[in-house]
Amino acid sequence: MDATPGIPPAVTEETGPFWAAAREGRLVVEQCASCGAESFPPRGICRSCRGRTMVHAEITGRGTVYSLTVNHQRWLPGLQVPYAIVLVEFPGHPGVRVAGRLRGCPPEEAAIGMTVDIGFEPGPGGFAIPSFVAAP
Amino acid sequence: MGTDLLERRAVISGVGQSAIGRRVERSGLQLTLDAVLAAVEDAGLTLDDIDGLAMFPGGGAANLPGYANGNLYEVQDALRITTTWRQGIIEGMALPFYGPAMAVATGQARHVVVWRTVKEGSAARAAGGRPAYGAGKPVAEGPLAWLLPIGMLSPVCQVAPYAARYMHEYGVTREQLAWIPVTQRAHAALNPDAVYRSALTVDDYLAARMISTPMCLYDCDVPADGATAIVVSAAGTAPALRAPVRIEAMAGVVEGRPSWEQWEDMGRVGHGAARAMWARTGLRPGDVDVAQLYDGFTIEAVWWLEAMGFCGTGEAGAFVEGGERIALDGELPLNTWGGQLSGGRLHAAFGHTAEAVRQLRGEAGARQVRGAEVAAVTNVGGLEAGAALLTRWN
Repeated sequence: MDATPGIPPAVTEETGPFWAAAREGRLVVEQCASCGAESFPPRGICRSCRGRTMVHAEITGRGTVYSLTVNHQRWLPGLQVPYAIVLVEFPGHPGVRVAGRLRGCPPEEAAIGMTVDIGFEPGPGGFAIPSFVAAP
Repeated sequence: MGTDLLERRAVISGVGQSAIGRRVERSGLQLTLDAVLAAVEDAGLTLDDIDGLAMFPGGGAANLPGYANGNLYEVQDALRITTTWRQGIIEGMALPFYGPAMAVATGQARHVVVWRTVKEGSAARAAGGRPAYGAGKPVAEGPLAWLLPIGMLSPVCQVAPYAARYMHEYGVTREQLAWIPVTQRAHAALNPDAVYRSALTVDDYLAARMISTPMCLYDCDVPADGATAIVVSAAGTAPALRAPVRIEAMAGVVEGRPSWEQWEDMGRVGHGAARAMWARTGLRPGDVDVAQLYDGFTIEAVWWLEAMGFCGTGEAGAFVEGGERIALDGELPLNTWGGQLSGGRLHAAFGHTAEAVRQLRGEAGARQVRGAEVAAVTNVGGLEAGAALLTRWN
């Protein structure tokens, strides 16, 4: 798969583990060692109890599309349009909503409430970017 | 409540603008100087009276082509102003006059001029009509680090899922929301400085190309070139001012998440700022005669209509449908200069503030709302959020 054009992310102490796991096809979020709450994006502190000890938890299983957009504008040279961007939430993981591309169905079939599998695709700067897959 | 509020110790004394258009062939500095000089004259002041300067944004915020222009120190030098107070910011901006009002209310300055200069119209043309966030930066930082890599390359892509979820939850339709850009275009037709003045119909809106669903071309404001300057003065100087306007109440609140796609509830942006503002005044939403609500996108005017209490949550579609309520002779004339959707993205509620001042002075020409005594002004929401009421001097 050709890499998706875009702007690569700056990698920080907080976000490094997410992008490293993404390269392995895994979706990880921060989880508080004290209260167990998960949060995203990573801040190095628990957004629920403000605990400072965070571990990384992998989310597996299917997600649900909370909202979406289908972009039609070619913002950068070489950008293939249209494409769907989905905001995905995961059952049993409150506090986590991840934005990513959608594949596995035509963009116009993307819908709120649809079920998706976790996935990644080659993105700008050699990063793997979230790319959810429409569940059959 | 009462005169002990700091904003009651400040007034807006002047507004001025440069030429405004899709493309104005002057540098950002020259546009800025045109607007500043016009605003100071409009206030009935001279440059010697000015002792505070502020601009939005400050340095280092050039993340969109044409977005940030110039440098506060260049303007200070060009005009030979001695300043006891300065500000160039994004964080804490809230409203154009928010920081300046605090400066004059606390005696740090007597007359502050604050400006916003955009060259995004020219920049869009230079980029082939498609400037993207991050185009001037090799990497995406902060909240944008999660958005630019996946193709949410413009603010329109970033706010679109909010609009989609809002419309899904409340059953609001594009046919209803069309009335915001359509009605504002009718207002722009009466504003000689508006960028787009030709008639726009609901059918035009529905036939327009999609940018990022559910947002079509006419849901997006117009990249423009132009500068707006506003003079904020200590209330005690009012006798020397030509036509001051009161700041009845103002509030700036940042709450929730720092980017739209992370908001837990996609119907509540702006509510915190509006609530904080209403707590500072005895006036109620029904007292507002004219509303200049931030409209970088149609959906932003929607959330401000609801946040400010002009209608209930989820009710903005029905409120604007048909356009009567938000027309110049309606119960809540909305963005009477055309807003950013037709008047141009003068940005950060600078155009909205200038129009509110003109309406309250009775200086809005063919688009004047008769008997306007109370104006609402709001800014952005979802990140920086500001809400204010301005009132007529007499």
